[in-house]
Amino acid sequence: MKKIGVYVCQASDDAQGSVDLKAVAEYAGRLPGVSLARVVAANDGLAPEALAQEIRKQQLNTVVVAGYSPGFFKPAFTRALAEAGADPENVRLASFREHGVMCEQPVERAKAVVNCAVNDVPFSLAAEPALVSVNKATLVIGAGIAGIQAAIEIADAGCQVYLVERESTIGGHMAMFDKTFPTLDCAACTLTPKMVAAGTHPNIKLMILSEVKGVTGRPGEFRVKVLQHATRVDPVACVACNDCSAICPTLASSEFDVGIAKRKAIYLAFPQAVPNSYVVDPNACLWVQSGGKKCGACVKKCAKEAIHLDAKDEIVELEVGNIIVTTGYEPMDASRIERYSYGKFPNVITALEFERLSNAAGPTGGKILMKEKKLNKRTKQEEWVFEPENAKPHSVAIIHCVGSRDRNYNEYCSRVCCMYSLKFAHLVKEKLHDVDVYEYYIDMRAFGKNYEDFFERIKEEGIFVNRGRTTEVVERDGKMVVRGEDIVNDRMVEKSVDMVVLAVGLEPANGSAELAKMLGISRNDDGWFAELDYNLEANSTERGGIFLAGVCQGPKDIPDTVAQASAVAARVLRSIAIGSVQDSRSTLKLTDIEQKVRALAQSGN
Amino acid sequence: MSVRVNPRLIKELEDFGAEDVSKCYHCGNCSAACPFSDDPVIFPRRAMRYLQMGASSRLRTTLSPWLCYYCGECSEQCPRGAEPGETMMSLRRWLTSQYDITGISSWMYRSWQNQILFMVLLAVLTGVGLVYYGFNFGGGSLSVYEGEQAFLPHHFVHIFDWVMGGVIFTLLGINMLRMWYFLMRGDTARPVPLGSYISSIFLLPIHFLTQKRFSECGNKQPWKMHMMIMFGYTIMLVLIVFFLPLMQEGYNFAAHFFGYLASAGLLIGLTWALRGRLNKTLTFQQKSHHSDWVFTGMLLFLAVTGVIQHVLHRMGLPYAANLAYIVHLSGVVCFEVSQVPFGKWAHLAYRPLAMYYAHLQKESWAAGVATYDGKLPATSGAAD
Repeated sequence: MKKIGVYVCQASDDAQGSVDLKAVAEYAGRLPGVSLARVVAANDGLAPEALAQEIRKQQLNTVVVAGYSPGFFKPAFTRALAEAGADPENVRLASFREHGVMCEQPVERAKAVVNCAVNDVPFSLAAEPALVSVNKATLVIGAGIAGIQAAIEIADAGCQVYLVERESTIGGHMAMFDKTFPTLDCAACTLTPKMVAAGTHPNIKLMILSEVKGVTGRPGEFRVKVLQHATRVDPVACVACNDCSAICPTLASSEFDVGIAKRKAIYLAFPQAVPNSYVVDPNACLWVQSGGKKCGACVKKCAKEAIHLDAKDEIVELEVGNIIVTTGYEPMDASRIERYSYGKFPNVITALEFERLSNAAGPTGGKILMKEKKLNKRTKQEEWVFEPENAKPHSVAIIHCVGSRDRNYNEYCSRVCCMYSLKFAHLVKEKLHDVDVYEYYIDMRAFGKNYEDFFERIKEEGIFVNRGRTTEVVERDGKMVVRGEDIVNDRMVEKSVDMVVLAVGLEPANGSAELAKMLGISRNDDGWFAELDYNLEANSTERGGIFLAGVCQGPKDIPDTVAQASAVAARVLRSIAIGSVQDSRSTLKLTDIEQKVRALAQSGN
Repeated sequence: MSVRVNPRLIKELEDFGAEDVSKCYHCGNCSAACPFSDDPVIFPRRAMRYLQMGASSRLRTTLSPWLCYYCGECSEQCPRGAEPGETMMSLRRWLTSQYDITGISSWMYRSWQNQILFMVLLAVLTGVGLVYYGFNFGGGSLSVYEGEQAFLPHHFVHIFDWVMGGVIFTLLGINMLRMWYFLMRGDTARPVPLGSYISSIFLLPIHFLTQKRFSECGNKQPWKMHMMIMFGYTIMLVLIVFFLPLMQEGYNFAAHFFGYLASAGLLIGLTWALRGRLNKTLTFQQKSHHSDWVFTGMLLFLAVTGVIQHVLHRMGLPYAANLAYIVHLSGVVCFEVSQVPFGKWAHLAYRPLAMYYAHLQKESWAAGVATYDGKLPATSGAAD
């Protein structure tokens, strides 16, 4: 005769503890064979002696430990059973975490897990994953190169794709770049055709200035709420003639130029933006800010009557079968490392700022120049700005691993910085011939195909590549000084430079935590979305129907991102081809599971 | 030139305090952050490399640990938590044990039990010896503190001090010679001409008295603390060695003025230092080796017992004063014998010497004569 004790243990970090543990314990107490069921609070401190006393008193011979991480509590119960004279092997675990209790009916699910453990039935037997017929539409969150690639692959196969992007144009970070390493291809030349293809594809619905606000349902039939901010310009009517922008009196910092240039309140992120229609920044627009009392010049100017400044934000509900997450990254905030003086010295710039500076569509027309102090006629204040007539730098230092491989900031290697820094060195040398370029690096991680050749080529170009990172940028006699150890030649080097480029590392995009919560997927310690298996399931998540591609899964370069995006499209198309998707979180009701457990338990006996 | 490699060197250095050397991945941050690291003596990264390689013979001939004052910049900015500053500190302990010919230093540094055992033994032996002397050859009565009939008459204590000092400084002198040999004549060195030794000799007292390199660190607090302790100790030492009768008997103004000044300096400086170590205020106080506790703690103990025996004596309590004096003297012997030639105290000699040698080497290195911290002369083969 079995006498089972069920202990429902509270997780010590009760972050995901949405389950009513008391209800689970009450349910367990009513199960046949269970003579004791109670909740163990996280701060109780499990003393095996006290537990042994309880086990002896209740004459228990089996213990079920339930909870988010029951394995953590197992040793205490093993010892307690041994001390009470029972078989210490008779400890069974009912893990809420492993059996997907983070779902819509967490209590039901938890009860089912406990029921299986009490009856000694493996949970996977009682709660087989259900097959759900799949909705053929797919949602892609984030329209960088990964999102665009995956969307085009799926759309080309004839399926509907919703491509959601929170900026005013698709293209992501790659659209901001000047060249791509190691081939030195023009980034815009390779990306913009894809952007146009995505923008004009009959099966792709672009949603710019949009954010995912909620996800419900299950794999195969997700329901997604998307908040679509008003663009305030009719994209069909707008012909991008620029009349509205020319007349707009308000300036704001340009997101696309990462703040090194200004744009109007009604603007196009860059000339090749997709969709190629203007949008209004409501925080800068005088008409919006004054509630319709001021300005409105653009509305009068627009010959196509395309501007509707009173347009409202909308919430759109989508029904999709699969979701692809391609949210990418954010460059690390360089001002966190005060010693590099970013934000203090005007000519200490970040990698992304350099990309815009070097880009032919950037504020200096692609010339690499220094920031200079200019009087802003509008505000009557002096500002440091990049302008096409500024002076050229004669020496540039590039500092690697800014915020990467450093336990004070991010411990991981951001993977792309070495190569893009080499690319920067080349661009500087190519555009300004009488210039010295110094690279301060820790290790040169030229890991990809042809990357090592690229490194050798850069060295041949006369760039001083210094093994040894530097710790600070200081000012001496009006010049910036960068000091470091030249480890290879065993000496100290101290260079005074006109410009410092910080090779900042990558960090997960803003809002990744909220998105992970909404989707029910987890993140690694570093904040990147967690893949199901490091080697073999690098683009799946623990939740069926939700996939990852690009940097949001971990830092990677453009070729790897594109490859992963195409691979993810194959995963989605597979489920569409089969017509169904497995929901790893069983859809069976508690009563169904109870029935199955009873049948299995009887046949087992 | 071949270098014998000791693969257990990192492990051996753990006993001296450096625990994280193997974490270093040689980014060069520490050398770039160090205000004293300058061509051609670059540290602390080079020492980290030697340690990882197990090049103990190279380390033995390097003077860079003595050029470091542990301001903590390197450890604070280390991306790996490899603690280069603590490594330099440990290397100073290790070098002290390497210079020592007897092996006692290494034996004491490697375990706190050894250190305590050695010190307790010294203290007990001295205490017993003093009591034996007092009853049989001294005044014979614990109730007499002053004058010729005192339990421990000052002429005896004076001679006692001189003998002890002689033994200790002979031992230290041998170690200093070994230090000179390792740094200036060892297998990586090319000799410095004798003339430079003489023309730069003035550097020794300057570095000893002002510790001017220390004062160049960003944070001035450790330097002030160090100056208080150093001056307190030195003044007291001079007073005891040369002017003991003036301190013990009568009311000589100068001796008492300097005596009280030195005591105050010691008490304030040491309390400040101990508090810092207890609260782990500054970077260099994060980790304390047992030798640090013993050094600071014992010195404070000596200062306190010294003050107590003086106060008791002046209060007219000769019996208690004599007891306190015996305790104090036992402590002095135990501290001096264990710390001066074998322990942390030795840096009072090694540091100014290292500065002096560094200057000599640098001068001759620039002229193409000598090697500088293992680097070949500037004109003959400096890497470029």
